[in-house]
Amino acid sequence: MKPNTFVLPSVVMAFLLGACAPAAAPTAVPAVPPTAVAPAKPTAVPNTAANTLVYARAIDDAVTMDPAVAYEFSGVVPVSNAYETLVRYEGTDYANVKPSLATKWEIKDNGDTWGLTFTLRDGAKFASGNPVTADDVVYSFQRVIKLKKSPAFLFTDIGGLKVESFSAVNEKTFGITMPKTASAQAFLAVLTFATGSVVDSKLVKANEKDGDSGTAYLQDKSAGSGPYVIESWTKNVDIRLKANAAYTGNKKPSLNSIIIKHVPENTNQLFMLEKGEADIAGNLSSEQLDSLKGKPGTTQLRADSWTLAYIGMNATVKPLDNVKVRQALRYAVDYDGIVNNLLNGKVSKVQGIIPKGLAGYNDNAPFKQDIEKAKGLLKEAGVENGFSMDMSLPSSAAPGGAQWSDIGAKLQSDFKKIGVTINLKPTLEAELLTAYRAQKLQMMGEDWGPDFADPDANGTPFGNYSAKSLAWRNGWDDKESEKLSKDAALETDPAKRVAKYKVLTEYVMNNGPFIILYQPTEGFGLRDNLKGFAFNPLRVIDFSVMSK
Amino acid sequence: MRFVSYIARRIIGIFGVLLGVSLITFFISHALPADPAAAALSSHASNEQVAQYRRDLGLDRPVVEQYVTYLGGLLRGDFGRSIRTQRPVIDDLRAFLPATVELSLGALLVAVFLGIPLGVLSSLSRNRLPDHFVRLFSLLGGSVPIFFLGLLLISVFYNQLGWFPAGGRIDTFVTPPPHVTGLFVLDSILAGDMDALKSSLHHLILPSFTLGYYSTAVTARMTRSSMLEVLGQDYVRTARAKGLPQRIVVARHALRNALVPIITVVGILFGSLLSGAVLTETVFSWPGLGGYATTSATGVDFPAVMGVTVIAAMLFPVLSMLVDLLYTRLDPRITTS
Repeated sequence: MKPNTFVLPSVVMAFLLGACAPAAAPTAVPAVPPTAVAPAKPTAVPNTAANTLVYARAIDDAVTMDPAVAYEFSGVVPVSNAYETLVRYEGTDYANVKPSLATKWEIKDNGDTWGLTFTLRDGAKFASGNPVTADDVVYSFQRVIKLKKSPAFLFTDIGGLKVESFSAVNEKTFGITMPKTASAQAFLAVLTFATGSVVDSKLVKANEKDGDSGTAYLQDKSAGSGPYVIESWTKNVDIRLKANAAYTGNKKPSLNSIIIKHVPENTNQLFMLEKGEADIAGNLSSEQLDSLKGKPGTTQLRADSWTLAYIGMNATVKPLDNVKVRQALRYAVDYDGIVNNLLNGKVSKVQGIIPKGLAGYNDNAPFKQDIEKAKGLLKEAGVENGFSMDMSLPSSAAPGGAQWSDIGAKLQSDFKKIGVTINLKPTLEAELLTAYRAQKLQMMGEDWGPDFADPDANGTPFGNYSAKSLAWRNGWDDKESEKLSKDAALETDPAKRVAKYKVLTEYVMNNGPFIILYQPTEGFGLRDNLKGFAFNPLRVIDFSVMSK
Repeated sequence: MRFVSYIARRIIGIFGVLLGVSLITFFISHALPADPAAAALSSHASNEQVAQYRRDLGLDRPVVEQYVTYLGGLLRGDFGRSIRTQRPVIDDLRAFLPATVELSLGALLVAVFLGIPLGVLSSLSRNRLPDHFVRLFSLLGGSVPIFFLGLLLISVFYNQLGWFPAGGRIDTFVTPPPHVTGLFVLDSILAGDMDALKSSLHHLILPSFTLGYYSTAVTARMTRSSMLEVLGQDYVRTARAKGLPQRIVVARHALRNALVPIITVVGILFGSLLSGAVLTETVFSWPGLGGYATTSATGVDFPAVMGVTVIAAMLFPVLSMLVDLLYTRLDPRITTS
């Protein structure tokens, strides 16, 4: 038995030794790595190139680069740069949609349906050179519905649309037939989002595999007409975009190459920004952003976010079913303490269900900590001796940079003052959502951001029990709120609509099952030579308007 | 023949482990009060949409039936599809496992080529300054948290001195070598790509040291005590009495005999390196199995979690088999029978 048993281990050892030898001389490696050896790869540009942008952030949330499936930040950002939508927002005007692939559109009242007609831009071409036609739009929108993935509800639930709702009137005219139960105005807002991207149907169809509608093909590349093309996505490494040479729109990019680099640890993001190896750092904490002050070459920006951090109170659980108890809890919270101490004052105190920046925002913030008033309300409700309640909170960071556990501890001490005992239950997000969807939580904390720039994106979930969203999950079956939210959503006159949302927000504020805690900001660390960076509250970052 | 039957027995054992681990993990993960379909579709999707997704994924079928389907796939090398991304899990494992293996091998190298010499040095200079130094180094290795060590090294060697990169496997502007083994260092050598080799080695050093520090400390301590024991043996005294130089006594007579327990420890350490790389991977933006496991676990993505668990569970019996084989080389009295 003279062993050949040593063969494998010795191969391993040989490898180890081989790898070790050069490892012993790290100083031999030049400080600035040379450019790539393979000239075929267009990514081989020098580190310092003025035409390249490196954006460091955690990108492990990305699921795909397919516009009909992507719904996560790290998927939506590349998609919205590589594809065009029919209409879009410009600058910070989120009240009016502007032309993009569609140069004009009209909404007609067809009796029992809305008829939307879009005229496509002449000469619009995909990166492949194929012309953009109404058939492409039909294919793209049907794809969203057929694939039934995360963003599909925007079309099926918000728009009330089905596969047969879309039609190509002629090569350049595209039509949608929408039920009157949906708001055509709100749907125009939906169409500005990445899910409304128009894909190159010829290219995608040619790459379909086993009836997958091209999902495998579009997973890590693009087939759009936007200012950039998605060149590659290496999971947990980077997403690379390059300028689309065949772009026909009016947002000609100045930066040729965009690299969104996976850097999960934000201390590293900070270091990379300070050393000029990253132009944008995307996940810096409030303290880290403050630490950038006075650091040469860097600057910082706090952008608006439309997210709301809230506490839900299950109205089917006694005594939370009593509106006075819910109101008492709202008066027990030290909102200023949360905003100023836990979040360094870098968030806004907002108490309505529609965030600041959206039409219909109600700036009334009547609640501040008033222990006597809260106790009085509990007495009126017949629970002056207090009660005890579970509060489930995500075991992660809350928007704006605080931890949910800290917010929970603060609320626990606030509620203690009126005799209400809170049992904090840190819960894995997935577990929390499962129980929340089944109406099985007592009190809970979460955040919510609107999917499109229309107050209906919050009015319906927070106000309408039948929509089976937030009001339903908190067991708040209130016919008045349901009626108000439907009325406001379907109102076509903008001024009347705002007035109706004022009534709805006021009503939910005082009767609903929510304690709205605050509206956060989104912070970014930037190199100071980067121009044109803007973060829009719909989570879109437009690389085409940036330059160095 | 004995060797063949030994290998066969060990392989059967590995299948037993596979069956047991997959069974336990599968039923534990399905007993969790969290719905992976709900997690995959975000909080904005409707309950109908979630229910439909559950049906599409077959999550509404009895758990036993799901397990049989899963195990059937597993035996054919099919790990199923990720619930979150809909990609085949095997593709993700192929992408992420080599990165973790490379990092763990790097850490193992540090442990072996730093830990053993330090241990020998320590044993030869017992209770003198070098020994104190090595023991302090080992003590720190057992107590410094990986996260802290990683950030400290990055802060000093990247941010202050600029000697090493902050993270990743290769420079952003260097093209990775063509995929053969997935180990960048090895693939660069195979492709003869010096730039990729330099860059990937450069990127490997800090994370390897970070991950390997604990193992280095354990190896050094183990080597020290094992060496001290052997150095007191009669045959070492005999060798010294024969007038053999110290070098030969230590290397040929003492260390070789001290190696058996050391290899046992290193084998176990290597297994724990592979499964313990999560924090190092996060600090150094290392695209390995650790980050994948974390994302999958928080999203209760069962097939992905199962894939990682099965791979990790299979590594231990495989490693212990390799360690056993190494014993037979080091000590002829140990056989595979």
